[in-house]
Amino acid sequence: MGLFKMAALVALSSISSSVFAAVFTFTAIPDENESQLRTRFEKVAFYLEKELGVEVKYVPVKSYSAAVTAFRNNQVQLAWFGGLSGVQARRLVPGSEAIAQGNEDQFFQSYFIAHHSAQIIPSDNFPNLNGVTFTFGSKGSTSGRLMPEFFIERNLGKKAKDVFKRIGFSGDHSRTIAQVESGAYQVGALNYKVWETAVENGTVDVNKVKVIWQSPTYPDYQWTVREGVDNTFGDGFKERLTQALLDMDDPELLASFPRKSFVPADNLDYEPIENVAKAIGLID
Amino acid sequence: MPKSISFVGHWQKVTLILWAIALVCFLFSDTEIISLDPWSELQRMIQGLMTPDFFATEYLLEALWQTISFALLGVLGGLIWGAPLALLYSNRFIAAGCAVIRSIHEIFWALIFLQIFGLSPLTGILAIALPYGATFARVFFDILLQSPQSTVETLPARTDRVSRYFYGKISHVMVPILAYIRYRFECALRSSAVLGFIGMPTLGFYLETAFRQGHYHEGAALLILFIALIGSITFWCRPRLIIIYLVLALFTLPSMHSIDASLVWRFLSQDILPPALQGVTDLSQLDLSRINELINWGKSVFFEQAIPGMLVTLLLALSALAMSHLVSVTLSAFAFKRLTGKFFSVVIRLLLLILRSIPEYIFAFIFMLLLGPSMLPAMLALALHNGALIAFLTIKQSDNVVNSSVYNGRIDGYCYDVLPKIYPNLMGLLFYRFEVILRETAIFGMLGVATLGFYIDSGFSEIRYSTALLLMACTALLNILVDMISRQLLRQNTQTALACR
Repeated sequence: MGLFKMAALVALSSISSSVFAAVFTFTAIPDENESQLRTRFEKVAFYLEKELGVEVKYVPVKSYSAAVTAFRNNQVQLAWFGGLSGVQARRLVPGSEAIAQGNEDQFFQSYFIAHHSAQIIPSDNFPNLNGVTFTFGSKGSTSGRLMPEFFIERNLGKKAKDVFKRIGFSGDHSRTIAQVESGAYQVGALNYKVWETAVENGTVDVNKVKVIWQSPTYPDYQWTVREGVDNTFGDGFKERLTQALLDMDDPELLASFPRKSFVPADNLDYEPIENVAKAIGLID
Repeated sequence: MPKSISFVGHWQKVTLILWAIALVCFLFSDTEIISLDPWSELQRMIQGLMTPDFFATEYLLEALWQTISFALLGVLGGLIWGAPLALLYSNRFIAAGCAVIRSIHEIFWALIFLQIFGLSPLTGILAIALPYGATFARVFFDILLQSPQSTVETLPARTDRVSRYFYGKISHVMVPILAYIRYRFECALRSSAVLGFIGMPTLGFYLETAFRQGHYHEGAALLILFIALIGSITFWCRPRLIIIYLVLALFTLPSMHSIDASLVWRFLSQDILPPALQGVTDLSQLDLSRINELINWGKSVFFEQAIPGMLVTLLLALSALAMSHLVSVTLSAFAFKRLTGKFFSVVIRLLLLILRSIPEYIFAFIFMLLLGPSMLPAMLALALHNGALIAFLTIKQSDNVVNSSVYNGRIDGYCYDVLPKIYPNLMGLLFYRFEVILRETAIFGMLGVATLGFYIDSGFSEIRYSTALLLMACTALLNILVDMISRQLLRQNTQTALACR
């Protein structure tokens, strides 16, 4: 299969990999606005480089599952994961640890939104969603898929696929807003922060779409680091890394995630997420 | 066909059967139009298209170049392994193997390689090289069959095999082969861009983000650039420059991690095993409960995902095939200069370029906003893209058709004089394209249409590789089945009547 080219590529790749051997690499997908990823996160890389004294590189990825794969294959040693992807990653790489989460991630929420024609009245009680059309966000999202699916099943007492007339996966929180606003789906569930930003920026017509239910809080995004970074980058590296993340106070850097600040976290914080994922059958 | 209606010719019959099948499929498909007010989002989209922002994308030139370089290296890789295989393609097993490889969409190849090579350029290049090689093998084989026997027969008796081969066979078909490689390069550019959707550093990386997140100014700019890139291939892709491009492409590849043999091993020994077999180290651990679990797993994947997925895939592909037929027949007529005049035909040709360049994904995306999340947007997207492509290839032929003396420059003249000459070729292309349509249904799975691709995508995003791989095997089986049936049909066709009656 293209032996010649394979040989050339292997040769090239072995050269490049020996040059970049001890680069600390991380990845991150923000929950809002994925434009200019590299430009924004290379600043974070620069900050970490300054704090840690090792070369730090940012790798852009497209999806949570790609981030998990990169983490599992040791192509990144640190990742900014969603709740679910963090759990998946830590299950695949034993010894890896959640070390910090966003301030907001301690009490994260999903919002259920509905098109006005669905005539669902906002309430503190879980709405009766039987027979409506519904869209989740991306398949691997915590606030757009996992938690909403869990709340639906717990409150309505049956599997999501038996509740709705039609289920979709919009692929993205802002898509969920757009699809509910256009009436393509009557109801959708999404990350509360994305909704609030959209309302603030006026990119959603609140006469057409309303929040009909706010979920209870749960833990979400977090920084997870692989085991063995101390061996590669020196004793106490993990500790210094954690400190550097917690100390990050430059508003420009924090805006990339976007979070107010980072606070300590550990694996136990995410046990509820893991249990929920098991309950709805997303992990075995 | 009874004698009484023998005025219905061969191609009329084929066309009517195609429409009948598609109509049945269409009736059984989910084509509900659900859309209350798409206008505000559509307005944003049009605004974006009117004022494209070419500076919104970071590292834009790099992405453009990587799109070209992945395509070049992918086509080269495909040629290196696919071209020699064309000589052995008459072997049934090799043909079947190639059909399996072709049947899996580039995106899914890339998702597999992603597990093994990570986010390395190798992932993207192999994801193009592998299916393209299998396609080259088939098409070169078909082209070689058409080379005349007479030259070989007139060569002196003691001519060596190599000369015999090159002088007697290859030299006859060099022109169509080169033309085909050029055409595949255009396809590879599209594939390369689409691989950006899952993380390769090509235009698609930014294009998908921009559309998904509603940054239409940026999305429009990227789309315009991409169409321009494909439209201008003949200007920048000169044969002499290709070597230079290739060398540049090799040297400017993004940095790669070395290939980690343990990852390859882990993928083969663990990841692809069904959950019940994971952690099994020797056969004695295979007790009844595990086997039971395995069977249940297989059953649930097969009946809950594979069967419904296959059904939707077939319904979608067959409906889209008939719609592509309509689009290609109509557009190739509109683009015929001697029918619609110079100006109009140029406009239509520009439209064809745009329609065939834009990835189906983007079309489906827009239609989904307009028409709601049924299968209809996917059908329209497939029909427009493939119909335009077939029309583009057809007008190359119709331009060379010599009119008879009765040609009157009107639609009846076109139907009497030109259409019969191009129709067999058009239908040939259409049926050829069915394989592609079937494969492309995968991409709509990522947009939520419940084709096999949808379930495969779910398997990857839930990190259940064994499920994804089993479903891919089902995809391959489906494609081989379709391939076998279409070969059978085409063989009958070519034997009975290729010419129009």
